[in-house]
Amino acid sequence: MLYPLIGIIALILVYTARHYFFTLNRLFGFQRHPYIDIDTANWPKVTILVAAHNEEKVISQILTALMSAHYPQDRMLVIPVNDRSTDRTREIIDRFCNDYPGRIRPFHRTSGKGGKAAALKDAMKLVQTEVILIFDADYTPGGGLIRQLVAPFFDPEVGGVMGRVVPLNVGTNLLTRLLDLERAGGYQVDQQARMNLRLVPQHGGTVAGVRLSALRQIGGWNDNTLTEDTDLTYRLLLAGWKTVYQNRSECYEEVPETWPVRIKQIMRWAKGHNQAMVAYSLPLLFGKHRATLRERLDGFLLLGVYVMAPLTLIGWILALVLFYEGVAPLHGVIAILSFTAFATTGNFAAFFEIAAAVRLDGSRQRICLLPFLVLGFAVSIFAVSRACLSQLLAPITGAKFHWDKTERFRTSS
Amino acid sequence: MNPALATALLVLLVGILFVVPLLPALIELRLKRDAYPLNVIQQYAGEIRHFSYGFRVYMEVLLEPLQKCAVSGTALKGAMPDGDEYLLLGHSSAALSSSIGKKTPNCSSIVAAGVDMVFPDGITFTKEVYAANKLVSGQRNIFQALLGENDIHLGRASTIIRWAHAVGALRAEPDCDLHGRISSDLKIQLESGCAFQRLNAPCIALGNSKAEVPDDLAETGEISLPIGRRLVDEDLEIKAGEVVAINIITRGRLHIRAGARVLGSVKSNQHMTLDANVSVEGSLISASTMHIGPDCRIAGPVIAEHGMAIETGTRCGSIGTPTTVTAPTIEIADGVMVFGTVWARTEGRVVPKR
Repeated sequence: MLYPLIGIIALILVYTARHYFFTLNRLFGFQRHPYIDIDTANWPKVTILVAAHNEEKVISQILTALMSAHYPQDRMLVIPVNDRSTDRTREIIDRFCNDYPGRIRPFHRTSGKGGKAAALKDAMKLVQTEVILIFDADYTPGGGLIRQLVAPFFDPEVGGVMGRVVPLNVGTNLLTRLLDLERAGGYQVDQQARMNLRLVPQHGGTVAGVRLSALRQIGGWNDNTLTEDTDLTYRLLLAGWKTVYQNRSECYEEVPETWPVRIKQIMRWAKGHNQAMVAYSLPLLFGKHRATLRERLDGFLLLGVYVMAPLTLIGWILALVLFYEGVAPLHGVIAILSFTAFATTGNFAAFFEIAAAVRLDGSRQRICLLPFLVLGFAVSIFAVSRACLSQLLAPITGAKFHWDKTERFRTSS
Repeated sequence: MNPALATALLVLLVGILFVVPLLPALIELRLKRDAYPLNVIQQYAGEIRHFSYGFRVYMEVLLEPLQKCAVSGTALKGAMPDGDEYLLLGHSSAALSSSIGKKTPNCSSIVAAGVDMVFPDGITFTKEVYAANKLVSGQRNIFQALLGENDIHLGRASTIIRWAHAVGALRAEPDCDLHGRISSDLKIQLESGCAFQRLNAPCIALGNSKAEVPDDLAETGEISLPIGRRLVDEDLEIKAGEVVAINIITRGRLHIRAGARVLGSVKSNQHMTLDANVSVEGSLISASTMHIGPDCRIAGPVIAEHGMAIETGTRCGSIGTPTTVTAPTIEIADGVMVFGTVWARTEGRVVPKR
């Protein structure tokens, strides 16, 4: 039992070092924003896919925002991908089509496989442009966002682009405030550090873009995964395409306001991410492709982030059992010193990352909520562990993966 | 002490010790002092003229009195509704002298000129300047911000601190320091020794290049570029005169020899060199530094993540297909022309022809 525990601790230490490295890079390193200053160009034609499944509360807001985007009108086509909606989504989309003739072409999907990836896959028959942007229906893009997300595609090495997601409903309750902090850490520090260090920024599947020729090269959208964005990131990487992150391309989103919705969301992410881990870990590490050594290592660590939750749980259990069995290597001295050292630095790594992100954002008081993140992490650890366990047991229980749409909380359209 | 009381006190003490570190969090949760979404300006589109447009709206209340001053040839002092003082010049800049500090030549009023105006040398304008007609500044003038509804001509070694916009042409004599946003609806011409950060105009002429639009660059419309690509893991050299009909991406250095023509886009992850007369139909991107030789033609965006030098005679973009040239530091030789935007985050400079 001792050696598995040592192994788990070693893994945790690797991720701890990674957190610190990213945070210090973000605070003191060279910041890469190579495409953000392209403000004049012969802008290419772009198709914007808006994934919508029962989105009557939010769909009109994103369509209104897109219609007022600062992008040449004759070079931008919006395709709302209405995936089997049973509410007023279709009616609202059709009204916009009448109000903005030629600028919106609806794709009403009434049957077929469920899930965002399957819907996007079907909608691709309407796409004729080399640059594709993707938004979920609850997002509200600003005027300059489309140009910012298109600009990186002038780089022939770029296959995917990811912008920054900013929670809009921050002040609703403790959960939304904690998610705001988590998002800040994840994007402002984690993603930007990966961009700075030329590692593997992750495609998020919304506020994002993909190059049509790259998508075709890798076989299109994978509708057998719960997280088509993670899947896309790795298939692009293995095919020699870069995904880039644009920290200043910010877009508001709505975050879950109830714990059950949040738990469902993170469980779906965990399952999808783990699917990618199983599929791409070995090809990424040992395959013959163009990814650099640092991309291989970072990509591998990124694939493992959700597995760390159950491993941490197992580590806690092992530590307790070993303690009560009286197993203490080297009379416990090294164990005590290691524990003390880790308690003062290791546990702090993720908090440090978030604190740095909040500081970089120029926020002041919200940093006070940092201690409550322990609550968010605890819920995530158990939810992700449960998701991992259900995945492991799926061959026995026969459970099939299905895509759960995240519930919306806005009260009016 | 009563054991029960002692236990209760101990529990209370532990409770307090546990809660004290959480007090700031509890207070913030309750008061919601910082519970607003991160400020994402929804209408922000990176418009270089943003501040000049705002200033024009701000100046609307003064346009009528300015017109009267211009007709009567008088000057007028007053204060804006927000308390800022203004000086309207209707005939000449003579009235400026009474507004300028005696020890230091500073003008602390908003200055608006209603007719063609020539400013004397060495004045620092600490507020915005508005010119309804042509404006010729003296040497070593320092402007906070400057809006010209016609041409602007900046005298030698003048400085713009924040922004300047000319509806007509904007010309800067040698050794001007142009910080912030410099734009024109017609053309910008910067002479040798000028430093800049962000420039935008249909035509930007650096150094002594003629700011007229050559006919061969006036094509319009969308360019159809190849979508195939060639990935190269080491250094690459494209031979002189070679025509390449594909996008090129190198992990190492890239050297494009004289007269070569690339019909797609080019990316190198290390230093990129273009010799003379190279033509690139797509974009030109270096994850490191870039040197563009003389008389090259680049149609798409030009990006270098660490620094860039462009030699004389090179053209980037065209009137019909404007583009962006961007790097932290840009060194542009006399005789370069860019159609669209030049953006040097740290500093750009026009240098003499080599």
